[in-house]
Amino acid sequence: MSQSKIGTDEWVRQYQKRRGKPAGMAGVVQRVWLLLPTWAWLALLVAAGLLFPLTTDNTYIIRVGGTIALMATLGLGLNVVVGYAGLLDLGYVAFYGIGGYAYAYLSSEFTTVHWPTWLSLIVITVLAALFGLLLGSPSLRLIGDYLAIVTLGFGQIFVQLTTSLTRVNLPGIEKPLNLTGGPNGIVNLDPVHLFGFSAQSVKDYYYVLFIVLIVVLVVVYHLNYSRIGRAWRALREDELAAETMGMPTRRLKLMAFAIGAAIAGLSGALFAAWQGAVFPSNFDITLLITLYAIIVLGGLGSLPGVLIASVIMIAVPELLRDVRFAGLLFYAGAVLTLYATLKPRWQILPLLALLALFGLIVTFLVMAATPGASALLSPPGSPVGIWIPLPANSSDAGNLAFFASIVMVLFVTRVKKHRWRFIALIPTLYLLAFAWETRMSQEPSITRLMFVGVLLVVLMIYRPNGLLGQRRVEVV
Amino acid sequence: MDLFFAQLPQQLINGLTLGAVYALIALGYSMVYGILQLLNFAHGDVYMVGAFIGYGVTVALIPESGPITSSALILALMLLAAMLGCGLLGVAIEQFAYRPLRNSPRIAPLISALGVSFFIQNAVQLTLTAQYRTYPTDQLIAPSMGFELGPARLSATRALVIVVAILLMVALQYLVRRTSLGRAMRAVAIDREAAAMMGVNIDRVIVATFFIGSALAGAAGVLTGVVFTRIWHFMGFNAGLKGFTSAVIGGIGNVPGAMLGGFLLGIIESFAVGYISSTYKDVIAFVALVIVLLVRPRGLLGARIAQKV
Amino acid sequence: MALLELTNVSKHFGGLQVINDLSMSVEPGEIVSLIGPNGAGKTTLLNLITGLYRPDSGDIALDGQSLVGKTPHEITCLGIARTFQSLRLFLNMSVIDNVMSAAFPRSQANLPQIVLRTPGFRREEARIRQMAEEKLAFFGERLVGYRFDQPAYSLSYANRRRLEIARAMMTQPKLLLLDEPAAGMNPNESLEITELIGKLRDEAGYTILFIEHDMSVVGGISDRVIALDHGEKIAEGTFDQVATDEHVIEAYLGRKNHSL
Repeated sequence: MSQSKIGTDEWVRQYQKRRGKPAGMAGVVQRVWLLLPTWAWLALLVAAGLLFPLTTDNTYIIRVGGTIALMATLGLGLNVVVGYAGLLDLGYVAFYGIGGYAYAYLSSEFTTVHWPTWLSLIVITVLAALFGLLLGSPSLRLIGDYLAIVTLGFGQIFVQLTTSLTRVNLPGIEKPLNLTGGPNGIVNLDPVHLFGFSAQSVKDYYYVLFIVLIVVLVVVYHLNYSRIGRAWRALREDELAAETMGMPTRRLKLMAFAIGAAIAGLSGALFAAWQGAVFPSNFDITLLITLYAIIVLGGLGSLPGVLIASVIMIAVPELLRDVRFAGLLFYAGAVLTLYATLKPRWQILPLLALLALFGLIVTFLVMAATPGASALLSPPGSPVGIWIPLPANSSDAGNLAFFASIVMVLFVTRVKKHRWRFIALIPTLYLLAFAWETRMSQEPSITRLMFVGVLLVVLMIYRPNGLLGQRRVEVV
Repeated sequence: MDLFFAQLPQQLINGLTLGAVYALIALGYSMVYGILQLLNFAHGDVYMVGAFIGYGVTVALIPESGPITSSALILALMLLAAMLGCGLLGVAIEQFAYRPLRNSPRIAPLISALGVSFFIQNAVQLTLTAQYRTYPTDQLIAPSMGFELGPARLSATRALVIVVAILLMVALQYLVRRTSLGRAMRAVAIDREAAAMMGVNIDRVIVATFFIGSALAGAAGVLTGVVFTRIWHFMGFNAGLKGFTSAVIGGIGNVPGAMLGGFLLGIIESFAVGYISSTYKDVIAFVALVIVLLVRPRGLLGARIAQKV
Repeated sequence: MALLELTNVSKHFGGLQVINDLSMSVEPGEIVSLIGPNGAGKTTLLNLITGLYRPDSGDIALDGQSLVGKTPHEITCLGIARTFQSLRLFLNMSVIDNVMSAAFPRSQANLPQIVLRTPGFRREEARIRQMAEEKLAFFGERLVGYRFDQPAYSLSYANRRRLEIARAMMTQPKLLLLDEPAAGMNPNESLEITELIGKLRDEAGYTILFIEHDMSVVGGISDRVIALDHGEKIAEGTFDQVATDEHVIEAYLGRKNHSL
């Protein structure tokens, strides 16, 4: 290559030499990833997944594994709709539910129809895709936000209908029909019978779900690296330009919607078979938010991201079921966050020391001011011991502390002056700890959901591309 | 058919009552969307918090023995407390969850809003449990009070809700049309950058919009509690959807549109409950939304937005 | 028969008549440029041709086939491609992906073939890749080699313009519409663009209609120039003819002895 041509920067020509790897965590991940070709990683994943149930006899752990596989499959489907095509579908769980209830119709005593599993699954997948087209057709004309609301409404309607369609009067039929079993759902669903293999135990279902996950993973991967995947990405970047370059945007969106719905429907059917029943409460907004947390945490559009995020979002709450362990994690997490955000870092030591002192003083004061003081100490064995006074009826105090700690946390993030922030942190942390001990640890399921909500907000503000998403440039 | 007409006045009254609440919620949605093009999913939960604040006031001011002061004063305090509390809550949400995302792609504040909504719902459930609470409306307004309007009965409670809502809406219209803040809000809704260049303090306008919208939602929460009495932590979700539906039907970003849409949806829903069945009322509201979006996506009073290519 | 034929096309937005009873044509193999002051309706005309807007009246025909009422992607399939005045690249996609994405209308792999990765699919992917590389190579060394996998947002402005043209070429059009291809370029780069447009017609065989303000480019390569003002054609002919036309001068510079 001789002298610089017109329009070619010298700097640009040197780019090849100076091309650096991304720094930090992402760089480490990328270097590790590049060690093996993609198919090798897939083989490793398959091997790990197949060997997993052999490592333990604990059915609880295998059940968690099965749930992870199921959620990951759902996440992959949602990723196609949101991550690839950029459509905010908030009614995705309804397709999951349609799959579940369809399985209940086709393979249970409810309708006395007992189709063979392979037929059920195929029909349900196609049916869900059709429902996706049905919902997508009118909705896709709408601008992004309206689509979100309409799909959210659809999801809500699904739950409502399944809960209330217990007495339906159809013309020509005398008795009112119970279409959905109402809040008590439909039970006694047939287990999965495929190729002579009959799924009975948790381990069996784990294998079924894992194999389906791998199949869906490969399908989505192939879709992504094809003309359709490129068209979806182009559509997400700039819909108008994509349409002008010959890509039928409407058809592509519908395809994404339908494929996502099909994956959800298939998952729903398998879930129904596994649980042996379906209830309206299986398909509520909590599941939707969890799924969105998964794909956002993993990084929109990233396949390995979905897998890793599923593991995190399902396994971690299970780990947190043990209250003591949860408490440990909570305090460890708080300390780590402090360490990461406090500058200079070494100040965390005096902070913790002052915090401990503060706590002791508060406990001492409270005990001195109240008669029957000894009853205030927390039960023996609790890690916080004499640091936090626990009144007998701690709920109200705990609630107050909870609200106060939220206000203080928000306040602390606004304070600019370092010294004041340091000082304000002490009562803030103490209130948080108090609220944790009295209220949050008492209701782990609700606390977990609260943290999911916070996670979504924090992710969007500080790391919108999640763990493995690519750095994106947006034209606003 | 006779049955239809016989019930009509009562259904209309029910519809207007429900519609008044929906309209108040829709206003907050509409205003925020008009200014930020953001669907504030947390808006419904702000409404729920307002209902609980009002309930808290009744707990404080109505012990076992009965109200400690006049009903009118208690009701006023409930409304004021809820409006103030929710206004501040709305501002806080904007500050911490939406403002950092002002220049992010559209999906980011939407997901953040989902997270906030989820957080508030569960925070309330954590501290106040999932139990229903019941407003002691009977102790404030005797159930026997009311007007007979032909075959229909307009209870004092319903009349109060409608009147308060209308007063608030009139006040809002005055604010938007006649004050400089209102002018600033309208300007920012049309073209944020141009408004900034004309000397409008965008941040202040946005904060004011959130405060007002959330305060109205808080009022709606109290009014809901007064007339329908039962409140619980999950009530915001459905109400939020209905509120948004109303805003869209009327034309999002449009203040009179939100009011019209709210009343219309309230009437449609009451008719559905009265004439068809209460099971399907949400379905019918949803179908109404889809029809409007398909046939006239800008809503009844909305203006078409042109886009330069 | 003319490749592109516009007959009495009109378009208004609200009360503003943007295109007023405009008729023009482009013959195959021609390079026609469209000039006029800002607001004359040039980009609107491109939008009408490519289907982003629908004309209120009149007809637009490609090879005799009417385009009115067709969606943009259908029109692209029929053989018209364009670039945008304000670049509209797929910024977060790589350079090669930007170009390969535009192969969509000319490729056939369907869902089963993609999912199963049939040999037919692999062959087509290789073909698309090769064609994309060829299109990028049209611009010399700038967009090839290591550049293929770089995200489009890392490109310089001039390279972004070239990438957009390469992307448009990928749809294998008969007619190429360029909206201000030399915007923001210095005189040397403008000279390159002029040569490039010629090359596009001579080596690649496209018919070209382009909008430009830079008269050196217009005069340097156009076979024919059409001047618009207020949505109407005010002059048509060779560059010399149009440049000296009094209506054109008046549109750009105002009338002599204009009384206030």
